[in-house]
Amino acid sequence: MQPHPVTDAESLEFSFMGEVKAGFPSPAEDVRERLDLTHLLVRHSASTFFFRIDGVSMVDADMDEGDIIIVDRAIEPYNGCKAVCFIDGEYTVKRVEIGPAGAVLLPCNEKNTRYRPIPVGPDDDFLVWGVVTFIIKKA
Amino acid sequence: MYALADCNNFFASCERVFRPDLNGKPVIVLSNNDGCAVARSNEAKALGIKMGDPYFKIRDIIDRNHVAVFSSNFALYGDMSRRVQEVLRTFAPSVEQYSIDESFLDLGGMEGIDFKAYAERISRQCWKSTSIPVSVGIAPTKTLAKIASKLCKKYPRLNGGCYMHRPQDIEKVLRSFPVADVWGIGRRSAKKLDQMGIRTAWDYVSIPETSVRKLFAMPGFRTWKELKGIPSIEFEDMIEPRQSICVSRSFAHEITSLPELAEQVANFAEGTVVKLRGQGSLAQELVVFAMTNRFKEGAPQASGGICVPLADATAEHRTIISAAVDATRRLYRQGLGYKKAGVVITRLVQADGHTYSLFEDKDAAEREARLSEAIDSINRSFGRGSILLGLQGDGHIRMSREHQSPHYTTLWEDIPGVKVK
Repeated sequence: MQPHPVTDAESLEFSFMGEVKAGFPSPAEDVRERLDLTHLLVRHSASTFFFRIDGVSMVDADMDEGDIIIVDRAIEPYNGCKAVCFIDGEYTVKRVEIGPAGAVLLPCNEKNTRYRPIPVGPDDDFLVWGVVTFIIKKA
Repeated sequence: MYALADCNNFFASCERVFRPDLNGKPVIVLSNNDGCAVARSNEAKALGIKMGDPYFKIRDIIDRNHVAVFSSNFALYGDMSRRVQEVLRTFAPSVEQYSIDESFLDLGGMEGIDFKAYAERISRQCWKSTSIPVSVGIAPTKTLAKIASKLCKKYPRLNGGCYMHRPQDIEKVLRSFPVADVWGIGRRSAKKLDQMGIRTAWDYVSIPETSVRKLFAMPGFRTWKELKGIPSIEFEDMIEPRQSICVSRSFAHEITSLPELAEQVANFAEGTVVKLRGQGSLAQELVVFAMTNRFKEGAPQASGGICVPLADATAEHRTIISAAVDATRRLYRQGLGYKKAGVVITRLVQADGHTYSLFEDKDAAEREARLSEAIDSINRSFGRGSILLGLQGDGHIRMSREHQSPHYTTLWEDIPGVKVK
């Protein structure tokens, strides 16, 4: 940015900006920052996507119908993370467990025995779609 | 060094982002109005579907092979393109977006790093972040980088990254690379070269310098130098304003009446005004064109355009739209079924720095300018199409987009659903 000379005309204009009040100027006048939720929720804007939780969950999970989850593809799946996976032609949120034999997808609720663990093979790079980073819930 | 990052079969790949079940299956994307194939996955190419094949002509192949068909979804493609751009920007200080699916990276000053590994890393990161497959070619010039990126598509073992720099490697590649496929060699030059017996890029660089200059002028000489490894095409990370703007579309149904055709053309003209004002230019000439369905045998055919000079360089809605409608009246012939029409505005000049003509009515011009600004501001606040000139109608002729995928990344109502299990 180049230094900009202030001319008489401009400084005159400046003095009339806003309401002219005598006394102490508002200390908030120059504060323009505000909190932006995107900064908090989206770390990588290239790789972050939103999904909506569909259907009433059969399992006891921290995600309910209508919640919006934030998914970041750039994050490497880590042990214990929740991930959006593509299984049998649909998207499913699973828990990822990384053991000595590689990664395994488990049901979101540990006690649930209805769904069997799914091992992730080296050719299944589309199986784990992205790691869940935040859950947005309506209070 | 320069890199070219080219998204493979971009529109088709975008359609796969939220449909991993389509990986390995044939996918095609149709043009506006579901007219013809504009993008094909490798599997669709293998079935013999060609770029520009009309939809109705390939219906058979589609049905027999369960080809997944999509209407164009530009909201999705635009957003995925933005994402790929963002990834690329983390790999080079300056990036020139050449088209929706191609970008050049200036790697000047990075000499000494392992460029082969770097090319693969760029490709891998694009895939990881966006699930768009990207071919990255790195070479001493932009033209050679483009050729290198094409090699990635041909040879999967390159892992999406090709570094081409040793003279003997470049020679080997150019010897088998068709000159007609070289960036910057137009169709006319290709024909001329073919007549001269020049088939490969290597044949082209073997032409003596004086002959190249004489036969193909400056652009041909630039390409010649680039192929020899001498950077001769500037890196443009600043987008130049466009020299002409075209808005055209094919219609879902044939248009036979003048009012209907004029209404469509008025809307195309409005589209050009939006783009024109967006880049701060003025237009001096306008072309309206319309054509009948050339695939309909036995029907009377016509295809043509009318060129209208605009008295003064302008970017005003009313002037441009009514000039386009007037031209349509002159162009229209009864008894024809129009399948496609469009408006092109040309001879653009920058709005600031333009000298107004002596005969211009200054007051009228100012009134028009104020009207156009008001239209802009209403459309900005309430969405495009909120205010229309009478000539534009209410747009009751909608485009056919029977197979459009959801706006997964640009509309909250359309974000993909996921079950918890």
